[in-house]
Amino acid sequence: MLRHSLIAFGIMFVAVSGTLAKKESAIPPSVAKQKQLALVRVNVTGQSYDYFRPWQKKAPFSKRALGAVLSKGRVLVTADLVANQNYVELERAESGEKTAANVQVIDYEANLALLEPTEKTFLDGITPLEISPDTVVGDRLAAWQLEPTGALLATEGLVTTVQMMPYPIDIGEFLTYRISIPMQYRENSYTVPLVKNNKLAGLLLRYDSRSQLLDAIPAPVITHFLKEAESQNYRGFPSAGFSFFPTRDPQLREFAGEKGKGGGVYITNVEAGTPAMKAGLQVGDVVTAIGNNEIDQNGNYVDRLFGKIEFTNLLTAHAYAGDVIPFHIQRNGKAMQLNMTLEHRDAKDYVSPPYYLDQPPRYYVLGGLIFQELSRQYLKEWGLNWQREAPQRLVYLDRFQSEFFPERNRRVVILSQVLPANSTIGYDDLAYLTVTKVNGKEIKSLDDLAQAVKQPIEGFIKIETEEDPKQIELDAAQVAAEAPELQENYGISSLQRLQ
Amino acid sequence: MKRFVVAISVALLFTPILEAQESTPAPPPVEQQIPGQQPGASRSTPPGQAIVPVPVPIAPPKPNGPVQKSLVRITATSVEPDYRAPWNAGALQRGVGAGFVISGNRIMTNAHVVANSRYVTVERDGDPNKYPATVQFIANDCDLALITVSAPDFFKDMIPLKFGGIPALESTVSAYGYPIGGERMSVTTGIVSRVDFQLYTHSSVDQHLAIQISAQINPGNSGGPVMQDGKVAGVAFQGYSGDVAQGVAYMIPTPVINRFLKDIGNGHYDEYPDLAITYAKLQNPAQRKFLGLKDGDRGVLVSSVVAAGPSDGILRPGDVLLAIDGHPIASDASVELEGERAQFEEVVERKFKGDSVKFEILRDKQPMSLTIKLYKPWPYSIQGHSYDVRPRYVLYGGLLFQPLNLDTLEAYRSTDLRLRHFFEYFILEQIYLQHPDVIVLSNILPDPINTYLAPYRGAIVDEINGKKILTLDELAKAFAEAPERLVIRMIGDGPPLVLDRNKIEAARERIKTRYNVAKEQNLEERPASGAPKQANKT
Repeated sequence: MLRHSLIAFGIMFVAVSGTLAKKESAIPPSVAKQKQLALVRVNVTGQSYDYFRPWQKKAPFSKRALGAVLSKGRVLVTADLVANQNYVELERAESGEKTAANVQVIDYEANLALLEPTEKTFLDGITPLEISPDTVVGDRLAAWQLEPTGALLATEGLVTTVQMMPYPIDIGEFLTYRISIPMQYRENSYTVPLVKNNKLAGLLLRYDSRSQLLDAIPAPVITHFLKEAESQNYRGFPSAGFSFFPTRDPQLREFAGEKGKGGGVYITNVEAGTPAMKAGLQVGDVVTAIGNNEIDQNGNYVDRLFGKIEFTNLLTAHAYAGDVIPFHIQRNGKAMQLNMTLEHRDAKDYVSPPYYLDQPPRYYVLGGLIFQELSRQYLKEWGLNWQREAPQRLVYLDRFQSEFFPERNRRVVILSQVLPANSTIGYDDLAYLTVTKVNGKEIKSLDDLAQAVKQPIEGFIKIETEEDPKQIELDAAQVAAEAPELQENYGISSLQRLQ
Repeated sequence: MKRFVVAISVALLFTPILEAQESTPAPPPVEQQIPGQQPGASRSTPPGQAIVPVPVPIAPPKPNGPVQKSLVRITATSVEPDYRAPWNAGALQRGVGAGFVISGNRIMTNAHVVANSRYVTVERDGDPNKYPATVQFIANDCDLALITVSAPDFFKDMIPLKFGGIPALESTVSAYGYPIGGERMSVTTGIVSRVDFQLYTHSSVDQHLAIQISAQINPGNSGGPVMQDGKVAGVAFQGYSGDVAQGVAYMIPTPVINRFLKDIGNGHYDEYPDLAITYAKLQNPAQRKFLGLKDGDRGVLVSSVVAAGPSDGILRPGDVLLAIDGHPIASDASVELEGERAQFEEVVERKFKGDSVKFEILRDKQPMSLTIKLYKPWPYSIQGHSYDVRPRYVLYGGLLFQPLNLDTLEAYRSTDLRLRHFFEYFILEQIYLQHPDVIVLSNILPDPINTYLAPYRGAIVDEINGKKILTLDELAKAFAEAPERLVIRMIGDGPPLVLDRNKIEAARERIKTRYNVAKEQNLEERPASGAPKQANKT
């Protein structure tokens, strides 16, 4: 609630002139001498889906990055790097030897992925990195990059803050290290390991070359990811399903039945079907503690390592789906305890899915009208400033989806664009309309739409929209007759994708 | 009909031509009033460089006659309301525009030349005096105004101008005025480029017929006549700033002017009535067949009917409009009027409040005749600029509550997604039925009692102590009759805003004094000054 969404810095590297200070406190001399660095180059080619022409993929991209070699022959990278990949290749730093790799586990929300080489012996001779779990503010970390020769380029930075911050997939916030560091540009700068005493402390999330601030995915999030990755069925980070507000305002405190100087956060919303709802949490409750961790008026608890940090950390990095978490609450001035069984909320469990990666978008083409399902992935097609550039009505529906569709179990079908054809004369200017009914049947998904169009009314397909013009009719026979020509003219490989 | 102009950027670039001169004190940046011109060009005379007026002989063949005998230079001092501190009087501004004498000792000019004015003077050719003038009628929806001068002999030597019709395309017209602050009449010539509906940026919500001309029009031309064959063909009023388009200027054509003059015949300007419907063209053959239309080219489809408008209960979504007052409506929404194609709204445009319009329609494939008695639906007013009114607001415990409208939205430059949605869909989604006033907690004057309330800024009030709050009056009443504790629910899933009446009462004087708040609320859009309103009722 009332949290400002930060604009991701993006990963921008700008060549930095001048030389680095030769302080090597975070880089023990042993590292440089180590023959087999626990680093491999990762070369990725991929293709994103084109949401404006959903039957096709965009031109291929390639990204070059570094991966941290972990035990059991696994390589850790960011999910960002390998999302929508076609081919991933690992390359030994010192020899240039290459092999193909598979994505073993990927978590888009925590932005982490594990790769495994197809050739099992490929990583032989490399001493894997262990995880350094105890980085705190004031520590020095080394960013490991590779020179073209395969030699190590280590840059030292200072951890300035540890706090909850949004990750690229903007669902909740995760623990983040913010590091002040003058990075240099090297070819493989996409995923950069951050190392403390030869152990992995974090992975680069984003870097702003102007302020020289680097955000890193911290060891606790990596550890969580690795621990879950061990299990057969990767579930992802838990989500509780409630919104909260600080209780600093004395008038709100009194209203909520809080007396004295005690802490806690005020619950402003509990989403239907979520762990919070199942546990019986209610709007107006004040959550005072989670487990043994007391929450202050701003919503922070005292972490034994980091000091004050937002309590949502207790429900992400510290907890797993399936865990039962005791919530201590005040309801109408009375202390109570609720036990909440945490669950992971899958992207498909949102009305407008927050991300849609490594899978083709669903669509349905009907006589030149293109129907799609609203998702944030679709809105992100408008670029970095999508929140301002994308059709505002759709951004509004996406942002407040839990308000408009509390039932959750549906999609929003949009008429996204119109390809001019004989059957769509006069409809050319229509775009971004939300579909309510087709042939009198309510539409809550593209599957509904695909079913409904099969039952024309007296030979006409009637489409009703929330916005003007409110109704559109097509001649069913003409649509069918014109389909091959439409596919031919616009290069549409298939008129629908519903899987 | 109002088309919803979502493209706000266009409205900003498209500026009324009124020159803002040096103002006292320095006003906030006013984008609307200063088109992109050369820096410094808005000064009338460069300081220290006196321009001595010399008599300039005017070429003997004067196609339009001695226009300088009809033209006046209008200087208006206005007060722009301060929507961020609505208890203040607002910033003083001075602007120069043109006007011309018409029959009945009246001077016609643009509404934007004299809107919000407190003191108006006029000057005429060959007369060193400045004459105080009063505003008689102002029509902000079509950017026209009438002013008059009480000095007995002022009109004695002036020649009232007569109005012509719509000039032909490519015919030559001349624009007269005082562009870029000059004190002597300027004439520019161009041709008629296009006749079409245009957004009138003075209100930013109304669309009427406008004529595009290629004559140079600049700040200071506003309100001046555009002449052809000795008759007024239009009133110069808006154009694009130079970095958008060049050689594109607009004048208000005589049908709009004549309508204005007729409207005020009863001593009161009633504004344009509106059908308050949205419609779609019917150019798709399948759709035409579905609706039971046989002929190839008639009819438009009613998409929505505004509940607060005159068509409510008469027209229904899904109706096909076939003819208006006997004029067949083509499938592209055009009708033939006096031998010209025009949008069918033009028929309504020429009508007055209380007039009727007759439709031939097709409903469920059955032909019907309907009559609609016209008036102007109120909800449109929030989407346009207001003039000559004081902003409405309620200040309570340092919390400033204001109704959402174009002026407040622009004053705060809000990018809030929900606010923008409520503004843009106020009519289309019938938000006005639930929230006749969309009451926004627009600002907070910091005080110990509200120090933790900053996150509520920009929220929309939904209910107080369980009661829905529909209008600003109801909000003021809820505050006036507050029990010990007020629990204000905002729209969305944010926390309630809880206020302790006793604490707020204790803080009232403190906040008023600290922030120099003259008045804690204004509930009526009373005219800002006596002059225009009084004249309005003449």
